[in-house]
Amino acid sequence: MIGIIEALINGILMGSIYGLTAVGLTLIFGVMKVINFAHGSILMVGMFAAYWFVILTGWNPYLAILIVVPLLFYFGYFMQSWVIKPIFEAEKDVREPITVIIVTTGIWYVLDNLALMIFGAEFRVAKTTVTGKIVEFMDMYFLLPKVIGAGITIACGIYLYWFLKHSKMGKAIRATSLDREAASLMGIKQSKIYNIAFGLGSACCGMAACVLVPFYYVYPTVGVPFDIKAFIIVVLGGLGSIPGAILGGVIIGIIENVGAQFMAATWTELLLYAVFLFVLLVKPSGLFGLKQDF
Amino acid sequence: MKNYLNQNPVVLKLTILLLAALFLLPLVVTSPTLMQIFILVILYAYFTSTWNFVGGFAGVLPLGHSAFVGIGAYTSTVLLQTYGLSPWFGMIVGGLLAAIVGVIIGLPTLKLRGAYFALATIAVGEGIRVLFENVKQVGPFKINGPSGISITLTENSFTAFQFDTKAPYYYIILIMLLVVLLLTYYMMNSKIGYYLAAGGEEPEAAEALGIKVSRYKVIAMAISCFLTALGGTFYAQLMLYFYPKSILGLDLSYEIAFIALIGGRGTILGPVLGALLLRPVSELTRIYIGDMLPGLHLVIFGLILIIVMRYYPKGLVVPVKALFNRHIIDRFSKPKRIDESTTTEKAD
Amino acid sequence: MSLLEVKNVTKKFSGLIAVNDVSLTVEAGQIVGVIGPNGAGKTTLFNCIAGALPPTSGSIIFNGKEIAGKKPYEICQLGVTRTFQVVKPFGSKTVLYNTMVGAFAQTQHLHEAEEKALEVLKFLDLDHKKDVVSKSLTLPERKKLELARALATQPKLLLLDEVMAGLRPSEVTEMLPTIRKINQTGVTIVIVEHIMQAIMNLSEKIYVISFGKKIAEGDPHDVVADEEVIKAYLGEEYVATQH
Repeated sequence: MIGIIEALINGILMGSIYGLTAVGLTLIFGVMKVINFAHGSILMVGMFAAYWFVILTGWNPYLAILIVVPLLFYFGYFMQSWVIKPIFEAEKDVREPITVIIVTTGIWYVLDNLALMIFGAEFRVAKTTVTGKIVEFMDMYFLLPKVIGAGITIACGIYLYWFLKHSKMGKAIRATSLDREAASLMGIKQSKIYNIAFGLGSACCGMAACVLVPFYYVYPTVGVPFDIKAFIIVVLGGLGSIPGAILGGVIIGIIENVGAQFMAATWTELLLYAVFLFVLLVKPSGLFGLKQDF
Repeated sequence: MKNYLNQNPVVLKLTILLLAALFLLPLVVTSPTLMQIFILVILYAYFTSTWNFVGGFAGVLPLGHSAFVGIGAYTSTVLLQTYGLSPWFGMIVGGLLAAIVGVIIGLPTLKLRGAYFALATIAVGEGIRVLFENVKQVGPFKINGPSGISITLTENSFTAFQFDTKAPYYYIILIMLLVVLLLTYYMMNSKIGYYLAAGGEEPEAAEALGIKVSRYKVIAMAISCFLTALGGTFYAQLMLYFYPKSILGLDLSYEIAFIALIGGRGTILGPVLGALLLRPVSELTRIYIGDMLPGLHLVIFGLILIIVMRYYPKGLVVPVKALFNRHIIDRFSKPKRIDESTTTEKAD
Repeated sequence: MSLLEVKNVTKKFSGLIAVNDVSLTVEAGQIVGVIGPNGAGKTTLFNCIAGALPPTSGSIIFNGKEIAGKKPYEICQLGVTRTFQVVKPFGSKTVLYNTMVGAFAQTQHLHEAEEKALEVLKFLDLDHKKDVVSKSLTLPERKKLELARALATQPKLLLLDEVMAGLRPSEVTEMLPTIRKINQTGVTIVIVEHIMQAIMNLSEKIYVISFGKKIAEGDPHDVVADEEVIKAYLGEEYVATQH
């Protein structure tokens, strides 16, 4: 019984980290109506950056946030404005921007395999000041970095939600996602918003990356499971909804961790795919999704 | 096509020349390694062409097609090892099984929009891979989970689908490819082809003209899955060993999709062109750089994909056709340009 | 038995009643017009008949069969084809290809579809453009293509959704005999339209919809003089000034 509660809480902790990654993805989708298949790879880039930061400086891993988050923001910003924008523009009037999806898939492949070439396939672990430390709570044990990570990601989620609701830029972003033409008529420059949205989405990955490095393996294809989970979460929570992404993340985390109590880890993977397909087919707009023509 | 060939005897002559060259190739090439490369190029052209039925004609983006390669390979091999069934029969069984699975998957998912369908295929593809990786045995059938299955080389006969030399394999896959290309041409010029094109371009208008778009997409899916699985059996018999990550992975799915997209989906020659250009890149990087820089060929693929999508979203077949028209047709005969049967992309 | 009977059709969109208990009949061979001010619900009614939207209540009987709630492709297969106000040609394909897509509704064979398509294109004077890629056509040509495509399905009833929209007055005048020609071959036509010239010229009978309700029906000239109709279009104050 205690095992299940422990798994449940672990699920919530891990889930909120998944959730932050998903928030980034949903933000990009909400604004640009594009599903960024390269999202996991961006996370991977962030993880390697944080890893090297820790290895090279030996400082507190959470300080990496100060460098990695802005780094990934600009990484995403420029990826959008240099690579994706021209293709996006060409497809603006097409009902289904498939070419953009194809290109982000290409970016995924390039990034993952570049990392493979440069860093090799080994699984790396960063030994940080918090790695391996445990927190005890009512006879249950949790990894400290996980707990810290969850805390940080939830705080980020709340901040982002507030930012979008109340700040000027946030409102501009929301306006563009609701009606890009109307927003542009109001003086909001569309391409700038897309760049920023992509940057913000990538920054979310950066934050998640820093929070993961103290306790998660770092390797070139680490982005893939996160990517797939992010898609699942985003569809579950509803494309374009931040609370949906966080809630969805938690649900996925719970399913994964509690499921592992009852079946082998690889079967939980299958379970997640099953959940995903179920949501896609039964309620594609997800829990909080915007009314789209799906 | 008949009209086109009549007006362009040059193309007819070139086609005959090309076919002759292809069929005579094994007599000229003696190195088995080189033959293997040719075989793989044609095999990939085969896979991209069968992918084309869904990715090109149905107008959606399937990113999990390796599942059907795997179903084909596993079905025929397992039947061979358990019952001694000739892989030729096993191939058909595998094809039918793949078609059934494809229809089951397609019925609910082909109604989804672009990105959702793509995601669904990834989920299904990966799901099937995980399934095969975790199952050691199903009833009397040994699947061996992650270690895969190997086929022992016992004989050199057509019925056993095993040969000492590479040449027979080459001819088999070449004929399979030509059959698929003929089938593609035939489909494009039939009611199904017209309906799929209409449904892909303007589904609302198509429905108003009496077309149940989803039905035709499912038909295309079934055909594609059947044919893809046949290729899976061929692959098994060629390589004599396969395991889930090699035959069911996202890598293979993506490679097939990328090559088809770079070449030009929805056309007859696009996928073949893609395979002709990219497969040798893959083989050569593997041979010469291989272990030093793993993943290099995928980086190259990814970059080529991005660049080609940026400038030729409909694939390289468009500029290549234009060049062909200009330098070969116009130079040697009356000016009448290449049309992909009934589609005209000139106005782009 | 009338060819088309719309009986008490209502369509609600969570609280908004777009079509309110509308009934109309169309006899075989007629050209019937449906007019009304903007936002009156004509297009919603049209979409209900065409199968694009299921009515909330009421029934739609075509040729004796209930079609309310059926899908557009089913309705087309039963003999009702519609055109779109914003034309939707298969842009990358030729005029002939487009028309053949329509023709395949009645045949499985390529050569039969081609024959039928060529026949229709000739009838509509569009055959000289048969190999032109449809996205290069001018707007009136595209409208004609839309008609050709629909005609190729050999419908008993043709639903035209603001087919004149976007055309210049000279182009409208050119389109009128085309539509009459189609009707003369035996195709019943229901035309939803804004452009009075077209409606008055073509229709044997018209219905007027305002705020989702049918407010008048009958002979075009009588209807146009009806006070309620004038009120709907021009407002109460205008009507008051006429007294």
